Amino acid sequence: MEKQNFQVVGHVTPRKDGVARVTGQEKYTVDMTLPRMLYGRTVCSPYAHARIISVDTTAAEAMGAIVLTFKDIPQIRYNERIITVEWALHKDHYILADKVRRMGEPVVAVAAETEELAEKAARAVKVEYEPLRVLVDPIEAMKPGAEPLYETVMYGDKEIKVVNNIACTREVIEGDVDKAFAESDVFVEGTFKTHKIYHAQMEPKSVLCHPEPDGGITVWATTQSIHNTRIVLGQIFDIPLSKINVKRMAVGGTFGSSIQMNSVVPIGVALALKARRPVRLTLTREEDMHDHGRFGTDAHLKIGAKKDGTLTGIEMEMTADLGAHIIQGYSFLGVSIGWVVSLYRLPNVRYKGVGVYTNKAPGCAMQGYGNPQATLAVESLLDELAEKLGMDPLVLRLKNYVGLGMTFWGQGPMVRSIVWSDGVPELLGKGQEIIGWDRRENPNTKSGRFRRGIGLGRGFHTTSAGAPQPGDVIDFSGALVKVNQDGSVDVVSAMVDHGGGTWEAIAKLVAETLCVPLDKVNVVPSDTFSTGYDVCTHATRGTYAGGGAAVKVAEQVKKEIFETAAHYLNVQPDALKLRMDHEQDQAVIYVPSIPDKKMTLKQLASRTWSESWKTIAAVDSYRPTNCPPAYVTIFLEIEVDTWTGAVRTLRTALGVDCGTVVNPDGAVGQLEGGLSRGLGMALYEDNEWDNQGQLLSKGYWVDAKTPGIMESPALKDLNTHFADTYEPTGPFGAKGIGEAALNPVPAAYANAIYNAIGIRFYELPITPEKILGALMEQENIVKEGVH
Amino acid sequence: MKPQMITLHINGRTHYVALNPNLTLLVALRDLGYTDVKCGCEKGDCGACAVFLNGVAVNSCLVLAWQADEAEILTAAGLGTSEHPHPLQTAFSDAGAIQCGYCTPGMIISAKALLDQKPHPTDAEIRDAISGNLCRCTGYAQIIQAVQSAAEKMDAGGEG
Ligand code: FES
Ligand code: FES
Repeated sequence: MEKQNFQVVGHVTPRKDGVARVTGQEKYTVDMTLPRMLYGRTVCSPYAHARIISVDTTAAEAMGAIVLTFKDIPQIRYNERIITVEWALHKDHYILADKVRRMGEPVVAVAAETEELAEKAARAVKVEYEPLRVLVDPIEAMKPGAEPLYETVMYGDKEIKVVNNIACTREVIEGDVDKAFAESDVFVEGTFKTHKIYHAQMEPKSVLCHPEPDGGITVWATTQSIHNTRIVLGQIFDIPLSKINVKRMAVGGTFGSSIQMNSVVPIGVALALKARRPVRLTLTREEDMHDHGRFGTDAHLKIGAKKDGTLTGIEMEMTADLGAHIIQGYSFLGVSIGWVVSLYRLPNVRYKGVGVYTNKAPGCAMQGYGNPQATLAVESLLDELAEKLGMDPLVLRLKNYVGLGMTFWGQGPMVRSIVWSDGVPELLGKGQEIIGWDRRENPNTKSGRFRRGIGLGRGFHTTSAGAPQPGDVIDFSGALVKVNQDGSVDVVSAMVDHGGGTWEAIAKLVAETLCVPLDKVNVVPSDTFSTGYDVCTHATRGTYAGGGAAVKVAEQVKKEIFETAAHYLNVQPDALKLRMDHEQDQAVIYVPSIPDKKMTLKQLASRTWSESWKTIAAVDSYRPTNCPPAYVTIFLEIEVDTWTGAVRTLRTALGVDCGTVVNPDGAVGQLEGGLSRGLGMALYEDNEWDNQGQLLSKGYWVDAKTPGIMESPALKDLNTHFADTYEPTGPFGAKGIGEAALNPVPAAYANAIYNAIGIRFYELPITPEKILGALMEQENIVKEGVH
Repeated sequence: MKPQMITLHINGRTHYVALNPNLTLLVALRDLGYTDVKCGCEKGDCGACAVFLNGVAVNSCLVLAWQADEAEILTAAGLGTSEHPHPLQTAFSDAGAIQCGYCTPGMIISAKALLDQKPHPTDAEIRDAISGNLCRCTGYAQIIQAVQSAAEKMDAGGEG
């Protein structure tokens, strides 16, 4: 396939779910109710680390509440995220706590007739705790003799000992770093720290469970993967999957927070099974803030280079703060080095990653999955290297980036593929022009209260975790496409849309394949009963892999359309073509050389219904054999107020190479949203814990510093742009955008701030306090230097 | 605590309900099926639960239901329908101001409260009016754009 003129793909079209969302008719899990539904609540631990000595539920039961304690639940340890294959999975988690390892951990669960009664019952439960020493700092937690969070955890089906709270380690060695460093002329190194910030998805995590008469269960859940949710439930409750149905719902944003089966889901199921009545359980905002967060990282990197700017190798050591449970720590350690070596050609690598348990919210995927942290480090060091070498940072990047024809690690060391499309030079060129890169001045030429700086962050994200060979990540999607009796088309897919427009993209790709007008193609509501497996909407894979599956199946449907129409038109199937007829508002099947040999898809569908007695349909699975990089470049012009330390974003140039742009307005939205969350990560957001494992925000969202409208640059200053590329392995040439949009943003801020005030920050967020502190120190150094 | 009878006029319909006096208007509305009023935080932080209470935009999680006794309540669903959406609703949908849509009903209430007072708002006035509403998806630029374009449409068409 190559570039072509599209009829639907790449056109701006009204969003199908737009009306439902603006008029408040869209239903999210938290909006669902059922007759005779009970309300669930959990009894959350007031300690971050404690043994549970005794539990007394008499008073709650006397109120008529259904009560679950640790002894009532299946004694099975699980990992709620099963994108990783079984042999690489750690399992340390029970539905309810066997021992408390984080603040707010559910210890007991109750369900009652009203929310109020459930709350009362939860408060009436008496739990006696023996508080243990709280570990919030991973370095402290690793010290010999530190209070252990776990004695053992499961690894695959083996029980393994946990030593010094180290949950997992990973080493990667490629080439010969010592030799490479011996031959290098110049080095840059630094230690970069990022904190465990909060996803801040708007919809609180929720579940509604309906026990079925046959012993099965129907589940409405906030999730990015209905099939993985079902599989984990099957494992825990030992119910055949044919009796568990998980409904695909609209979700109020996730940003990675629902990549796993959420903690409320099995609790809700257990309550519903015990009560034999429907139960809904929703986290409060405070509970949600204790439930999940980004991985905090502390990484030391050393990069070597030749005089001409050619990079030679890297040495990297990283400690990841996993929090109280391991959800995907082992793969996190793998991807973190993967992002680094896929940014720039670093043929020699020595890496060691350590994942450490602490008494804080468990880390899970959050937009970029370690990529923003890695990109911050690499892009900062590249700017330092450029300065050392007296090179333009842009030229240094062009010289070393991983581009066309090169090997790329899409998801850690085991998921490798080749780059087939590369818009990096174009993006850098356009961004350079928009931002006025050439008027960028040296920081020491700047003075006065307000100092402006221009910075660049370049990055990417993998599109899917597909690869030619199997690895430690499962990646495939399914689709069912059927032509209805009036010529309209149903697409049945398990793929979840987080709000970015994945369903819109899938509908467009199918409409394009079958030449059916977009309003006649619908991605219909679905569940695990009606769909083939889809791994998860993560890894920026929605359009590329989910859309890829839909296109693969639509092609099969197209073949069947031709075969069936050939019979009615009495021609060779191979002679037939499809076109979209706007006047008839239909797909038309025709023979180019014989004008009267044609029929609309509606005519065909109607005849196959009444005369051929079949539905034109196909169902299949699809695994991408590639994981192409979606490249993003972020240029920023910012202004630092040296009196207050505040950073204002003046102008940006946000460029993406996502191959063919399927939803142009949606793509712009992804870039702008990515900037906003990246800006939050760079400058403000910090889910801080005190030494007792309590959140300083106490569950107040505003105190977690999610960016609001005041911080957001105006539309006219954003300047989004797309590279003109075509990804040969993607549906109609498309790759993803999603996570890529955020990945280089914190790095761009760090570089722009350096350019403004000549101070480099190695730890996020770069708050006004830190900027002021550093400016004062700089001033003192200057003064000392003068005297 | 005993339930109290109150009367709520919501989007032109009247409901007589018995509620405990400590329940918030947010919970009362959602229990009555007005799930377009979203619950984001229940602490006044996010604005997802905004409704009009006698013409004034409030966070319904910060109002007790009995305080709304006999009041006129307007929610985002009451502003327009699929067939006849409010110009703000159309503008939000067209301008790419929605992604997941969870913040949208609250955003639209805050935006309408602004346009009721200031039919030609400046960029700064829009930001001020929306400053109590969080959106994690969009980055806000398209939301500002949507409010501006709705203002222009309403001005031209005399709607709203
Ligand atoms: S739910 Fe009312 S302000 Fe957040
Ligand atoms: S659109 Fe998702 S929070 Fe605003």
